[in-house]
Amino acid sequence: MTREIEKKLRDTVRELLEKETIDRIVGYEAGSLKFSTTPLITSNKADVDRLVINPFTHSNLSVFLRDLCGKVGIVAKGCDARSTISLIQDRQIARKDVFIIGAPCDGVIDLAKVEKLIGLDRDEIDDIVWQGEKAAITFAGSTQKFSAKEVLADSCLGCDPSDFKECDMLIGEIEPIVGGKELGQDRIREMEAMAPAQRWEFWKKEFSRCIRCYGCRQVCPACFCDRCFVEETEPRWISPLPKWQDNLIFQVVRMMHVAGRCTNCGECERICPANIPLGSLTKKMEEIVDELFQYRAGTDKDAPPLMAAYQPDELEDLMR
Amino acid sequence: MNNSEPKIVAFCCNWCSYAGADLAGTSRMQYPSNLRIIRVMCSGRVNPVFVLKALRVGADGVLVLGCHPGDCHYLTGNYHTRRRLSITMKFMEYMGIEPERIQVSWCSASEGSRFAEVVTEVTADLKRISPNRLFND
Amino acid sequence: MLEKWQKEFAVFVPSKASGVSQMEVWDGQDTAFLDRNRNTAVPPKAKFLPGMEKMFGFRKEEGSYVVEPTDGEPPKQLLFGIHPCDARAIGIIDMVFKDAYDDKYYLSRRENTVLVGMACTSPYDSCFCTSLGFGPADATDVDIMLIDIGDALLIEEVTEKGRGILAGAKGVIEATEKDEKEAAAARESANAKVSRKIDTAEISRRLPLVFNDREFWEEVSAKCVSCGICTFLCPTCYCFDINDEMLQDGSGARYRNWDCCSFAIYTRMPAENPREEKWRRVRQKVYHKYLFYPELFNVIACTGCGRCIRQCPVNWDITQTLSKLPAGSPGKAEEKQKAS
Repeated sequence: MTREIEKKLRDTVRELLEKETIDRIVGYEAGSLKFSTTPLITSNKADVDRLVINPFTHSNLSVFLRDLCGKVGIVAKGCDARSTISLIQDRQIARKDVFIIGAPCDGVIDLAKVEKLIGLDRDEIDDIVWQGEKAAITFAGSTQKFSAKEVLADSCLGCDPSDFKECDMLIGEIEPIVGGKELGQDRIREMEAMAPAQRWEFWKKEFSRCIRCYGCRQVCPACFCDRCFVEETEPRWISPLPKWQDNLIFQVVRMMHVAGRCTNCGECERICPANIPLGSLTKKMEEIVDELFQYRAGTDKDAPPLMAAYQPDELEDLMR
Repeated sequence: MNNSEPKIVAFCCNWCSYAGADLAGTSRMQYPSNLRIIRVMCSGRVNPVFVLKALRVGADGVLVLGCHPGDCHYLTGNYHTRRRLSITMKFMEYMGIEPERIQVSWCSASEGSRFAEVVTEVTADLKRISPNRLFND
Repeated sequence: MLEKWQKEFAVFVPSKASGVSQMEVWDGQDTAFLDRNRNTAVPPKAKFLPGMEKMFGFRKEEGSYVVEPTDGEPPKQLLFGIHPCDARAIGIIDMVFKDAYDDKYYLSRRENTVLVGMACTSPYDSCFCTSLGFGPADATDVDIMLIDIGDALLIEEVTEKGRGILAGAKGVIEATEKDEKEAAAARESANAKVSRKIDTAEISRRLPLVFNDREFWEEVSAKCVSCGICTFLCPTCYCFDINDEMLQDGSGARYRNWDCCSFAIYTRMPAENPREEKWRRVRQKVYHKYLFYPELFNVIACTGCGRCIRQCPVNWDITQTLSKLPAGSPGKAEEKQKAS
């Protein structure tokens, strides 16, 4: 099934480039490691055959859109398409400069979860095949099946594909992600079951490992400021030193700066080299935005950005 | 119980709440002296990073005071304050910070007594909870 | 043996207890690292060049500043389970900290450290140490090297320091010829498992020729996101920034912390930023490691540990970039020479 979709994608993109509907394409090609993909950014028709669609297309490719000139085609999963629309809402790219190719996504496989589940590193696993509702993982001579919840990224669980409202072309059918909305919320509920002081201690410990690589910020399409607040020296808001206090403030303020624009793509958590569970922050922010404003990032390109909009009467119950 | 006096950083907008504070002062109203006021032109100037920074450097609580919605000197600034600070308050509560520590209120230039009242209430709230040791090692 | 060493040193072993795989103080119980010895995520360089290090304090006194040096010698530490790639990397960055002057912060930690190496028996698919002149069981740059030969660990004494820590250790016996043979076989088997390869001779030949091939560098750098992950996890990266932390009364302290040449602001100055464009920064990363450092210190500043490949958010792969270097033309080499 995937081979058909890949062929359709490649044929489509080749035609778009040939007809000059787009100047370049941003998609995924096979990565240099097992179970990985890497962004393919090219204007060359000959490269199109390298495009792939599989459950390892982790990157949110919309992060590259601001830096590319001309009309750019983007192979977008649901969350990435919403990030693209969010960038349009923020006036960072023009709608006419992007051609959104909707790539139906069953969810991406979280390799850290799989490695923990099986007790082996990715290069010791023979194969991972997503079969629509379960993953068949082959290792140590046998194949076992695992449920969606066990292998898919938490940010994918509870994904509502009906968000896929605006794209120029759809390759294949959109299927709902296996499982319900509540599946992706486990961690948030667990956090909320902890006493506040306990939660703070939890985050204090997690952020003690942060090395301030800014990977989270750099992979995020919503973090596009030319000058991030951490680089401000007059006044200096937080120290550049990786002290837990400043690490925590960096991330918390980042969450607030991306509120309403974060689509919970899960990249920040996936790539964190210190294994900090950033998804427990992004998911909660998404919930807060939904609860207070019934707003979901990137679903309406004509809507003003969440924080640029207001209602004359709202939220007064939260004011003193 | 907070046996020492809580330190409160208050961001007051130039046109309404700061003037309201002035009025409370010139009217010789009695209210707790725990506030350290930072004047901003509009409450909409307040970035969540200001709030976190104040807590980081030892403030026990942060108060953001602006014009009443609809009366903002810049017309819409306080609407943005309201949205922005609402998510800030909710998110920081999720992180484990006591909700009393971050509060937003509206106070017009003529409401000297209201200013005094809000400050009194917020100070009392913060006295009920322990001093800020959130960012201590 | 670890218990004996703990009496004299702070003993660090590879551990995931903190939530990320790095060198942690041995808890006296854990022995998991003996069975499964794949490389840590955070390299041991963190023990010599910490992510954040206080250099000295200072205070204001009568209108001028008084410097308060940090007290004493750094504690003696023993790093157990260092892989040859990381050990060799330590040897490589030693050179920079002894170059123009002796960096006492780095060197004093270094002098107070014993390195107990552990040969790799299961390299990752991202490892490429064998292309860089050594292998996963190489014993240079450690004080003793341990090789797993099944029922025992063969110990190779490398330095006087190494011999010193073995003195009086229980259960250490003279190795037999059979043991030596098993160790040799283990070394060969580990070498054979390293599947990723690069051709350093060809790379050294091509790099001077393609410096100005902007088109190539723009293409290979397109997917880099300019974060610090590869740099901070690289055992041979050593750049640091210096920052002062001030208090109200004018006192404070000077710290150094890790910096990264991939950051957009790395070379930002008031007047200009010579590496504003991402392709220049990506090019710099490759050149620093594979051409400039060798020109200065006669060694490639890369030990093939593969962390950059495994951890890069976009799977940017230096081995792929290096194997795709255009053949270049002599004309371009002249351009670079003129420019330098």
